[in-house]
Amino acid sequence: MIRLTIDGRRVESRNGEYLLTLARRAGIEIPTLCHHEAVEPAGACRLCMVEITRPQWNGWSKLVTACLYPAEEGLIVKTSTERVLRTRREVLELLLARSPRAEAVRRLAAQYGILEPKYAVDQEGDNCILCDICTRVCATHVTGAISRVNRGVAKKVATPFDEASDVCVGCMACARSCPTDAIAFSQDGATRAIWGKTFEVVPCTVCGAPTVTREQARWMAQRKGVAEEDFYVCDVCKVAKTGLSCRKVMW
Amino acid sequence: MGAFGIDDILARHVGQEQSLIEILHDIQLRFRHLPQETLAEVAGHCGVPLSRVYSVATFYTAFSFTKKGDTVCRICMGTACHVKGAQLIREEAEKVLGIGAGRTTSDGKYSLEVVNCVGACAMAPVVIVNEAYHGKFKPVELKKLLGRGE
Amino acid sequence: MKQTLATLPVLRAKLKEERSKLRCIMVCCGTGCRARGGMQVADAIRDELSAAGLAGSVPVELTRTGCHGWCEQGPIVTFEPEGVFYTQVKPEKAKEIVASFQSGEPVSKLLFRDTKTKRSIVTYHEIPFYSKQTRWAMRNVGRISPTEIGQYIARDGYKALEKVLSGMTPEDVISEVEKAGLRGRGGGGFDAGRKWRSCRKAKGDVKYLICNGDEGDPGAFMDRSIMEADPHGVLEGMIIAAYAIGAREGFIYVRQEYPLAVEHLGMAIASARENGLLGENILGTGFSFDIRIARGGGAFVCGESSALMRSIEGKPGEPRAKYVHATDRGLFDRPTVLNNVETFINVPLILDRGAAWFAALGTDGSKGTKAFSVVGKVNHNGLIEVPMGMSLKELIFDVAGGIPKGRTFKAVQTGGPSGGCLPEALLDLPVDFDSLTEAGSMMGSGGLIVMDDRNCMVDVARYFIHFLVEESCGKCVPCRDGLKQLLEILARITKGQGREDDLDKIDSLCFVLTEGSLCALGKSAANPVLSTVRHFREEYEQHIKDHFCRAGVCRDLCRYEITDACTGCTLCAKACPVECIAGDRKQVHVIDQSKCTRCGSCFDVCNFGAVEVRSAR
Ligand SMILES: Cc1cc2nc3c(=O)[nH]c(=O)nc-3n(C[C@H](O)[C@H](O)[C@H](O)COP(=O)(O)O)c2cc1C
Ligand code: SF4
Ligand code: SF4
Ligand code: FES
Ligand code: FES
Ligand code: FES
Repeated sequence: MIRLTIDGRRVESRNGEYLLTLARRAGIEIPTLCHHEAVEPAGACRLCMVEITRPQWNGWSKLVTACLYPAEEGLIVKTSTERVLRTRREVLELLLARSPRAEAVRRLAAQYGILEPKYAVDQEGDNCILCDICTRVCATHVTGAISRVNRGVAKKVATPFDEASDVCVGCMACARSCPTDAIAFSQDGATRAIWGKTFEVVPCTVCGAPTVTREQARWMAQRKGVAEEDFYVCDVCKVAKTGLSCRKVMW
Repeated sequence: MGAFGIDDILARHVGQEQSLIEILHDIQLRFRHLPQETLAEVAGHCGVPLSRVYSVATFYTAFSFTKKGDTVCRICMGTACHVKGAQLIREEAEKVLGIGAGRTTSDGKYSLEVVNCVGACAMAPVVIVNEAYHGKFKPVELKKLLGRGE
Repeated sequence: MKQTLATLPVLRAKLKEERSKLRCIMVCCGTGCRARGGMQVADAIRDELSAAGLAGSVPVELTRTGCHGWCEQGPIVTFEPEGVFYTQVKPEKAKEIVASFQSGEPVSKLLFRDTKTKRSIVTYHEIPFYSKQTRWAMRNVGRISPTEIGQYIARDGYKALEKVLSGMTPEDVISEVEKAGLRGRGGGGFDAGRKWRSCRKAKGDVKYLICNGDEGDPGAFMDRSIMEADPHGVLEGMIIAAYAIGAREGFIYVRQEYPLAVEHLGMAIASARENGLLGENILGTGFSFDIRIARGGGAFVCGESSALMRSIEGKPGEPRAKYVHATDRGLFDRPTVLNNVETFINVPLILDRGAAWFAALGTDGSKGTKAFSVVGKVNHNGLIEVPMGMSLKELIFDVAGGIPKGRTFKAVQTGGPSGGCLPEALLDLPVDFDSLTEAGSMMGSGGLIVMDDRNCMVDVARYFIHFLVEESCGKCVPCRDGLKQLLEILARITKGQGREDDLDKIDSLCFVLTEGSLCALGKSAANPVLSTVRHFREEYEQHIKDHFCRAGVCRDLCRYEITDACTGCTLCAKACPVECIAGDRKQVHVIDQSKCTRCGSCFDVCNFGAVEVRSAR
């Protein structure tokens, strides 16, 4: 058993979980934007910074990202020192200048007392803060249709050559997991469009409500070794029939 | 099999993600760019999604999707060259060729690129035309070097 | 033929004996000298030698060497063992050179002329640029053909490996390196022996060794010179390290901008394999280790260890948090040691001559010698290897010959984009890892860019931030967006649009970069700015408040005027690229301000100090 303290509270971890997990379990709030339960941590947004030290460090301490730092015996973790808060505020300033319209960013910034960005605002800035959740979700759980492209300031999320991707199945996992609603999509009855590609959403064979796209059903059927048709029953009807949720299949 | 003339390149490298960058280097060397069509074949060979190949190809400056000109003029903008006036050479080159850095003239003859140090800093500032290095370079020498003198 | 522990010493003795009777003409064919016709010079000398029929009693050899580190004097030709040193040789001079080789009479026009004493110097032993150096890491640089393994072996090459495999345990090797106090030459100055020990201790039977030949610091080229000129030295260091940590596979990551280094390393690997020094069953001892070359893709961040490993894995070079050490989980998630080129080339020396010998060089905290790339506004641009702890002043003024054209020293930039600018007041600082870090800069890989009063410190800060904006991997917020904001502010200041609160904003941005960034690229990115603000604050203020760039670099903030000191020599009028200087011979000249592009050519050519930089207003 690993024992450590977070904000003075004693916490325990059996297998070296990340500090973020432990803090949340202890009810200590640490803001995050690039953390997502379904994927490996990336350490991209730098909001979850905490200060760590040890008695034998003689007063020396350092900042680390809670989402990536594993629990260690005897560690002293502080989540809201002046150093942590200043760093967090400065990161939020940068995010606000980048994506001034992103709701999640504005809300967090406001929480930290920032209403007007102090840096030059990118008027063309879209809502994408490059947290990389969407690309990690798609690569880990779906087909890897999108990726981070370019380097540095030119970095963005896109399909290869910004063209409709051959392998995107239109599952919307990316758009749903985006913290800032930065991924454009549209759904109009039985038609769905995302990443420049249009999909047909098959109606539920029982009640007629939209289920999944044909491509997604085909992809899942292939992966699970079951019939494509199994996926053309909506959640509600499936629960009614079997007591199982079809969502589970995917995640 | 492949219709893009990269079979021999792929054959030289084991089909795994690790080979990706070396394969792209070889393709870039042969075609002076990465032809878009070849990437899917590379992805198949290495067993990764196309998006991964695209991600790598756009991350590294060694790779480009547009064909480089017959003559590639590279201007070193490394620190040693910078403090010795590389910026003036760059401006002169942009003027002489009528294109910005990173571009190729519309007739496909010249490409202009900037690089960060080629390790010839003791002869700064440095200009490289195709494979030939030119040290202690003066902006006025550029027209002659590129054969674009009036 | 594959050598063994028994045959290698015999081969070495034979090669030594043969080579001790040789007289050599050595022509530098490194990247720099090639650029200025080194290969043609070598060919011309070869033809001349055969025409002269120099088959007499003493065997003669023509050797094409790698870069000496003094490319500005190239192409360089030397005679060994005499040490005669010819500079800026043209192929037409081949006949005279061969004649001088025969007669012993130097060709005076090709000799190096000391700028201070105006004296011609015959051998490199007497040229201060060389005589004040202590070349250990660069012991073979310019002295052997990098493509002939025999020449390396004859200069005690692979002797340390032989010693290691003749009875030292991996533990012995690590202790020796630890005792020597070898610190990594790639930037951080981390203790090499300690790193090896953690990797040796790490669990797992597959371990990797990597040599970092990415040399991303623009302005530094010691690793290029070493890889081009002495590739076997790097290989030998790596083989010993692999033995120490228990690796069977290694990589050399070389930047693709160094084609000659890639070529020479490739040839060296092949001939080391042929000679039983690399591959299966090295020297018949049962120890196996092989090396592959991985070419970089033109990304500065790939010099950073975790990004470099991702790049070898075939991924984009994005760094990872280092909460788990690479010595536990590095390349392909296996225990890995990464060291710099210069770190490795020191290893055979330590094993051959002993830790105590090595530790006697340098200072308490920084042992051994260090190669510096001293470039910019100095008389002698080149590679200078000296014991750690020499003062900046000695390096710049005594060895590198001081500032040219009678201008005044302003600053020296050390440590590349992660380092800082140090002013004149700090010139007595000894160059070692800790002193430079304390002064707010860094040793880095050893780049020293010297600047004079014609360099603007705000512009230099802007230059580095611009460099970093283009080279940031873009993964984390502080580095990607913070650098972008920083560049925006610095660019504004250099255009005369600086604002009162800009220095405060710069301060905040430097804070978030240093505290918040994911990898050392971002964490150290503030150094070029912080150090210039700290040491040259009034220059920033002058830009912001007075709209004046005294160095005459920021074009919107200056103009050039010709004063009465003008003698009418017409030099400036001839130098002006836009022909906007008018004036008759012997008359004071005048600049047409409407056409002037403020390139400063007139200022630089005037011998009478008659051109002045004034505020644009
Ligand atoms: C942005 C960045 C760039 C770097 N570039 C290089 C490089 O080009 N060459 C190098 O040897 N080390 C470079 N380093 C340092 C390496 O990460 C690493 O510390 C070093 O190669 C380890 O070898 P050493 O201990 O022998 O110095 C760089 C570090 C950073 C953060
Ligand atoms: S909609 Fe397309 S891009 Fe988005 S997660 Fe699904 S497959 Fe990937
Ligand atoms: S689109 Fe959304 S999920 Fe994807 S990187 Fe941008 S902000 Fe993150
Ligand atoms: S949540 Fe930890 S860095 Fe984003
Ligand atoms: S800075 Fe230009 S060659 Fe190094
Ligand atoms: S290449 Fe000859 S001295 Fe550098």
